[in-house]
Amino acid sequence: MMGAILTGVMLLFVLVGFFWTPYDPEAMDRSVKLAGVSLSHPMGCDNFGRDILSRVLKGSGTTLLVAVGTVSIGTACGILLGAFTGYFGGLVDEIFMRINDALFAFPSILLGLVFISLLGSGKYNVIIALGIAFIPSFARIVRSEFIRCKNMDYVRSARLAGAGDLRIMFVHILPNIMTVLSSSIMIGFNNAVLAEAGMSYLGIGVQPPDASLGRMLSEAQTYLFSAPGYAIFPGVVLILMVLGFSLLSEGLKE
Amino acid sequence: MKYFAKKLAGFIATLLAVSFLVFLAFAVIPGDPATAMLGTQATPERVEALREEMGLSDPLAVRYVRWAADFVRGDFGTSYSYHIPVTQMIGDKLPVTLTLTVLSFLLIVCISLPLGITCARRCGGMLDHVIVVANQIVMAVPGFFSGILLTLVFGLILHWFTPGGYVSYRTDWWRFLGYLFFPSLAIALPKIAMTTKLLRTSVLAETKLDYVRTAYSRGNGTKAVLYRHVLKNALIPVMTFLGMALTDMVAGSIIVEQVFNIPGLGRILLTSISNRDYPVVQAIIVCIAFLVISINFLVDLLYKLVDPRITIE
Repeated sequence: MMGAILTGVMLLFVLVGFFWTPYDPEAMDRSVKLAGVSLSHPMGCDNFGRDILSRVLKGSGTTLLVAVGTVSIGTACGILLGAFTGYFGGLVDEIFMRINDALFAFPSILLGLVFISLLGSGKYNVIIALGIAFIPSFARIVRSEFIRCKNMDYVRSARLAGAGDLRIMFVHILPNIMTVLSSSIMIGFNNAVLAEAGMSYLGIGVQPPDASLGRMLSEAQTYLFSAPGYAIFPGVVLILMVLGFSLLSEGLKE
Repeated sequence: MKYFAKKLAGFIATLLAVSFLVFLAFAVIPGDPATAMLGTQATPERVEALREEMGLSDPLAVRYVRWAADFVRGDFGTSYSYHIPVTQMIGDKLPVTLTLTVLSFLLIVCISLPLGITCARRCGGMLDHVIVVANQIVMAVPGFFSGILLTLVFGLILHWFTPGGYVSYRTDWWRFLGYLFFPSLAIALPKIAMTTKLLRTSVLAETKLDYVRTAYSRGNGTKAVLYRHVLKNALIPVMTFLGMALTDMVAGSIIVEQVFNIPGLGRILLTSISNRDYPVVQAIIVCIAFLVISINFLVDLLYKLVDPRITIE
């Protein structure tokens, strides 16, 4: 419940950022360089005199966009791979699980780094890199659920009624594992937001002029003492986003 | 024994699979290592000669076997940008990242075990509520942001440490450890919260089981039941989690090293990624993966020690 509200608020925040920001997030103004919190700039200004609230609004949009892209790629490919290997089993399943285990040995952000080093940085490459990095965990969950369900009575009766394998997999089994899956999708969002922020913080994720919460944090570190708000506001927004998703996932589990 | 043999076989198979995947990933990328080493000004003849010398024209399988054999012997290739052996480049950085990881692991164990047990014992009390809520929030704070906050509070305001004042372990071991305390705390914090939460749930679930009632009825006190019976069983899921957390912590340390300006593996990995210095990236990735797989292998063996009932499915 708390999670749903918090996520709702954060989505609204991002949505507002897509259509309206108090200032142009790129507009620089030397007269308000590193300005503190004030009525005209509720979160202060950064080292170029850009309004932090506007940049946070834009940046959380980028972060969420990357998260949505990442989780979509991860779940779509994960469902396909997990469904086929779990349902049919056999040698392909065996080989696939070995590869999956091997990929699972990498922390997803490290896997993301490998792909970034191969593809180059930037918003869309981050989505592809993290998306691929997220496939193994989704595939593993879907696979084990398919194995659990494939011999249940409702699947058998569907088979007796003459349903084909594809129909059984995606019309009968898939909707039944959605509860398990939706909770892991929320954890996926949680991890994707963290991974994107981490990569952008390292400077190999989202590139300027795209604003990103992670990037703002790395830039803010130089001015940590003179303008602590520059680091704290983007950080708090990031935390609220992650918190919303993690609470939502726990709520869905129950 | 059979358990050990099976696990060992799986361990070696995964190692081979990982090394092959990493090798493959870096072998199929566009861009020629010979050109990368010589620069774009090189004549085609020189590039061709170097390609022959490096054995780049051989089939993929041959190159993999050669690369793997070199790797086992400790030869990780030569850096494109610095023209020195990769082993030399990462050799003295590895202890830094390892110390950071071990230190944060110790912090997790030392803080979350007592905290989780306290919560479970006072379930429903004031302290329990406070810790549960705090856990939920701390879990959502990424390591690099808690690193920034720790720098702000303990470095800039309280002056407990000098931000960026890293001391090499070669100069002074103790000051090196001292500087690593806050970075490892930053890495450990979210994991501490998760472990505490897991241990609390796990202990509470165990105390509802029959054997606990039996233990009580035999005249044991709360403490005896908790430490001699419940904890043993409740720690098993925690161990699984800690094994997985170690994986994340190695990755987390790469980021947190940047926050605190620590010259560990993370720094070279990042510069090598932006320089497209593939042998270095490849070596670091494989090293980290091997570390992770070995940890998981050890955790699997530990299981068997803690709980002899565990068998392979």
